[in-house]
Amino acid sequence: MGAERSAPHGGDTLRHGGAKVGQYGVVVWAAATLNFALPHMAPGDPVQYLYGGDSLGLAPELVAQVRAGYGLDRPLAEQYGAFWTGLFTGDLGRSVQYNRPVVDVLLEYLPWTVVLVGVSTVLALLLGVALGAWAAWHRGKRRDAVAVAAVLTLDSMPGFWIGMILIAVFAVGLGWFPSYGGAAIDGTGAAWLADALSRMVLPGLTLTLATFGGFFLLTRAAMVTVLDEPFIRLARAKGVRDRSVALHHALRTALLPVSTNLTLVLGSLLSGAVVVESVFAYPGLGRLIFEAVSARDYPLLQGAFLLVTLGVVAANVLADLLYPLLDPRVRRGGARSAPGEVTV
Amino acid sequence: MSPVLAVEGLTVSFRGKIPAVSDVDLTVGGGEIVGLIGGSGAGKSTVARAVAGLVRPDHGSIRIAGSELLGARRAEVRRLRRMLHLVFRDPYASLPPTARVADIVAEPLAIHRVGNRGERADRAAEAVEAVGLPTALLRSFSHQLSGGERQRVAFARALVTRPRLILADEPTQMLDASLRRDMVDLIDELANDRRIAILHVTHDLGLAQHSCARLVVMCRGHVVESGPTAELLAAPRHGYTAALIAAAQHRPSKGLS
Amino acid sequence: MNRGLSRGLAIGGVVLLAILLLVALAAPLLAPYDPDERSGRPFARPSAEHLLGTNDVGHDLLSELIHGGRVSLLVGVVAALVATLIGAAVGVAAGYARGWVDTVLMRAVDVVLSLPTLPLTIVIGVFAGPGLGTQILVIATVMWAGVARELRAQVLSLRERDHIQALRAMGASPVHVVSHHLLPAVTPLVVPQFVLATKTAILLEASLAFLGLGDITAKSWGTMLSLAHSRSAFLTDAWLWWVLPPGLAIALTVLAFALLGFAFEERARPSLRVRSRPARSGPAPRRVARGDGPALVIENLAVTYTGDAAAVADVALTVSAGELVGLVGESGSGKSTVAAAAAGLLPLAGEITAGAVLVEGRDIATLPADELRRMRGNRIALIPQEAMSALNPVHPVAEQLAEAVLVHRRVGKQAARRRAAELLTLVGIDPGRGRDYPHQFSGGMRQRVVIAMALANDPAVVIADEPTTGLDVLVQEEVLALLDTLRRTIGIALLVVTHDLPVIETVADRIVVMKDGRVVEAGPAAQVLTAPEHPYTRLLLGSALRLQVPEPAP
Repeated sequence: MGAERSAPHGGDTLRHGGAKVGQYGVVVWAAATLNFALPHMAPGDPVQYLYGGDSLGLAPELVAQVRAGYGLDRPLAEQYGAFWTGLFTGDLGRSVQYNRPVVDVLLEYLPWTVVLVGVSTVLALLLGVALGAWAAWHRGKRRDAVAVAAVLTLDSMPGFWIGMILIAVFAVGLGWFPSYGGAAIDGTGAAWLADALSRMVLPGLTLTLATFGGFFLLTRAAMVTVLDEPFIRLARAKGVRDRSVALHHALRTALLPVSTNLTLVLGSLLSGAVVVESVFAYPGLGRLIFEAVSARDYPLLQGAFLLVTLGVVAANVLADLLYPLLDPRVRRGGARSAPGEVTV
Repeated sequence: MSPVLAVEGLTVSFRGKIPAVSDVDLTVGGGEIVGLIGGSGAGKSTVARAVAGLVRPDHGSIRIAGSELLGARRAEVRRLRRMLHLVFRDPYASLPPTARVADIVAEPLAIHRVGNRGERADRAAEAVEAVGLPTALLRSFSHQLSGGERQRVAFARALVTRPRLILADEPTQMLDASLRRDMVDLIDELANDRRIAILHVTHDLGLAQHSCARLVVMCRGHVVESGPTAELLAAPRHGYTAALIAAAQHRPSKGLS
Repeated sequence: MNRGLSRGLAIGGVVLLAILLLVALAAPLLAPYDPDERSGRPFARPSAEHLLGTNDVGHDLLSELIHGGRVSLLVGVVAALVATLIGAAVGVAAGYARGWVDTVLMRAVDVVLSLPTLPLTIVIGVFAGPGLGTQILVIATVMWAGVARELRAQVLSLRERDHIQALRAMGASPVHVVSHHLLPAVTPLVVPQFVLATKTAILLEASLAFLGLGDITAKSWGTMLSLAHSRSAFLTDAWLWWVLPPGLAIALTVLAFALLGFAFEERARPSLRVRSRPARSGPAPRRVARGDGPALVIENLAVTYTGDAAAVADVALTVSAGELVGLVGESGSGKSTVAAAAAGLLPLAGEITAGAVLVEGRDIATLPADELRRMRGNRIALIPQEAMSALNPVHPVAEQLAEAVLVHRRVGKQAARRRAAELLTLVGIDPGRGRDYPHQFSGGMRQRVVIAMALANDPAVVIADEPTTGLDVLVQEEVLALLDTLRRTIGIALLVVTHDLPVIETVADRIVVMKDGRVVEAGPAAQVLTAPEHPYTRLLLGSALRLQVPEPAP
């Protein structure tokens, strides 16, 4: 069939891009609709979920008042419409715990997570790709086996547990770094920044350790596949130095399947952030989710879920936009190649 | 009497692109070997796959022993399908990787629910003998066989339903040169002794000259020329045919560049 | 990773898992106390009665640890099983049916995969309420999509394989294909999916339990850590017996599944054997003055692959400047091994055990690695077999040509680029196309670029390994004619390796025939073709089906 599959036309790129945008739209719609549907599907009165965990003992007339206030006495379709109107006007409900609009609380916590996850992602990516490429280059040798075993072991440890151990050793035992919070409340300027940075060391390290294994395994698998490609043999036949074969030829091409699988790793990074922030009481979205769960603050939890989903979608859009820079085959017409498909 | 295979105006395109095959006509009679010739991308394999029902034609007509295959009811399609068989190019890929020869060869009978288990085994043994393999091989697994043996098993599987038409898609291309001649001889034998109509898809004119009575030459999805082998090779009318002839003799082409 | 190592990892995983399962099953027998019994005073340090101390209400931590494995494993394995079954059903249905069924199912899969896993699990888990059953369902709801995506890809590729296509051509119904062939083929692929899903499910359960969404009446390792966290055990010495053990237990369990899953994945790759350090008793490096004798001399060459008998032995041949020698042999004859050895590019497992390969008088079999690299692409060049995929897909062709120049010559980028343009012109490609990428060229054009690359540094010897395989018949002739012209005009020594005697019989000066790793006949082309001595050569010549037509009138 290979011979009969001609090169894709430019129109396919547009249609492909359109399908991608549609796909992301569906993801956001699904997350939002799940938020709407869950309180109605879950056992018990939706009032309990919308008003918070302590609504069980409310007086009946108050319950009725709340129902009317949330529009729960109206038909479902109407409620769904109102829900979307709310979303588009930035109304995600009121946090029970903070007694403030959910959006305000989320925006206050968001920057911390963006910085923490951003820094950890870059570190995990660099570490995972470098080590994965190194192991693949030495595939079959003892050092590859040791690296793989070590990474699998590290990858098997729950992130929150790594965090607790790091606190016990580096914060309590050695006293090197603070174990708690994002920054001092009252500091200013450089002192404040230094304090914030020192508080980011342990959670950042935890998150990096807990997630770089995903990048390692992806890179190693892609690189091992690429190293068997004929063009690697040709590069050697040309007399290219090993180092250049590894970096300029093999790794450069192995990055393609790594980048198409970024979604999966990003999901695990954000999941890691939830538990790691909880351990370090780091004032980010993950910590917020943890608190919302403990306090049964349903509106806050749902808002955080929606925001995290938007974050994943945004990261994917970014990856899609950057992909053509990596792969010349999609630059001039043609679809993004499937993972692992390095040669046509 | 109508030919075993009659293709008329066959057009196949993949996902709305430029047709891979357009407006192809050809016939193959009982006991006749017709060579379908062309370079890569000429569309010759697509013709064979369309007849075998693996790709859906846009339009045209495919008649098996006078009965129309395209648009026929399901039972009729099944009846007609039983009369033909497609042999693939790569004998390493076209047989199930972990099955015994006996089961591989008997599978078409099982698919078409012919006979009971014992009868199928007998017919499988018969077919294996007919392609010149020892019956001891029946109990072997496909991965234990050489390429030549595998391709013979593929032909045994083709024979077991006693078809009237075999479509052979470059059956010798993956084989070592020293085995090719034997395979071509086997194909000749099937046509001569069993009166099976054979459409032999190949790019090798030397091989085609050796066994085909007529040739149909395809280029970029179209039939550019067809006729009796000797006439066509001695006096090609189309530049592409001339170029193929020159290439087969390993001398510079004066035809199409 | 070689087979031995991946086997070792798998055995490690199985042993680890067996121990964990045994402990979980025999928990009531092994645990010193009932985990729900207040068997000691709260916050007790480890002692003879309580090896791991007690928690905040006086439960024995060791007993909790032993019993906790039951919950963690139960939730993990059952959730993974449910997810795998749903995922497999969806994946196989989508992959085989294709069309709108596929579109609808895969849209759903993509949506689930795009939602952040843990937050999604938490949101559903909070609303679904506590309990082991709901926990299992929630985890399975989140995880089936990954399995479905993986298996659909497998089924799609299986479906296009010739032996499945053959069944469809025989008129087999979808039911027959799926039940007799597809399911048996897919089942082994489901097992690693299940193993990897279990690993993820156990980690998810631990995270959920840690966030307080576990079943407090059936404590898992995650629940233990959750309590340890809320009692701040990691701020005191208690982390050693309260935090460390449950976390290690989770890590070991997950690791057992991860090792198994990794071993499955590695098994699916082609094996790779590593050469033991050369124990070669070769002759001392020889240097012969340049210019005297043929450019390429192979003397009684033997190559051995690890653990096997010699792949080739006693091979001798010479190629002089401007000469074209054809090396002919069928599959398993060892011709490609000779080509690789001559170019100094044997695979890791191969090793020259005897003989010499002299390029302009220098024995490349004994050269140190770096000097050998300096020879490759400079004095001796290889045109490898796979024309369609021999160029790097992510670099423009001119850049790849320039690279060939730059690795061997101290010239500027500009000069290298000029040379690249020259080379493209030499093989009949418009130099303006140098900025294009390999996928924008046809197969024949790509092969021309590869040939140009081989000529970049005016090598003395060029080895072409099946240079026409996989190309269209007409293109084959063009490529061969190009090689023939170049060796005459530039005066390189050209060794063409092929399985097809007729391909080179009109252009070769001399022909060498190989069979089973040995040279059976060698001589001037005319002599080998008209008066072959060896029966195998006669068989090759006799079985060739040549086109015989009278020369058409000009």
